[in-house]
Amino acid sequence: MKKYWRCFVCNDIHYGVKPPEQCPTCMVLNAYVEISPDEAKKVTNPSGEKFDREKFLRAIEEFAKKNEFQVNPDQEKVQMLLEGLFNNEQNHGLKYCPCRLITKDPDEDLKLVCPCHFLVHETYQNKEDGECWCGLFVKRR
Amino acid sequence: MKNLIMFWARECPHCKRMMPLVNRLEKEEDISFEKLEIWHNEENADLMRSYRDIIAPKCGGQLRTPTFLNKETEDVLCGEVEYETLKEWTSK
Repeated sequence: MKKYWRCFVCNDIHYGVKPPEQCPTCMVLNAYVEISPDEAKKVTNPSGEKFDREKFLRAIEEFAKKNEFQVNPDQEKVQMLLEGLFNNEQNHGLKYCPCRLITKDPDEDLKLVCPCHFLVHETYQNKEDGECWCGLFVKRR
Repeated sequence: MKNLIMFWARECPHCKRMMPLVNRLEKEEDISFEKLEIWHNEENADLMRSYRDIIAPKCGGQLRTPTFLNKETEDVLCGEVEYETLKEWTSK
């Protein structure tokens, strides 16, 4: 089961089954201690700052840069999907894919949070013009 | 009249592309889809979830939009498809 861990030196937060042996931020060994989800939330976002659409778009563009895919060049499509993602976050708690429906099984539904693990989807895998379910990410040509 | 449902989502680009094709098919073939939006209507979402065992195996294990369902035959078609494919599916 995944838990929250905090580096006791630099307050780096890790969410995982076990803590990293070495903190990737301050490089200290064996620095992580388990903490509560509430503490993790307060440490990572003390002022409750919102992650708005523009910030999210920049984040996924940066994420895509290091991979074989890109954010869809079709701006109209991207804006429609961002609208859906942020509506879903507001109405249903997380940025669920606008082209799928949650099952109400929390573990299953985490697979629908954008960006999802679309590299294994039939719409992406082994396809020259592959894309994620909704089309937010497309294989770079 | 056939008992057809189209599950769709307001911010789904595939649904946006399919909607005019569905409207055209309704006019040309004298059929009608019950169009149910699933992200902004909890009742519709629950209905789609109630068909999960029928829909998911034919849609990559997921509840995707758009999904077309024939309630009588439990036949399912999902995703963005060409007009002729949709027409052929409804004529089954």
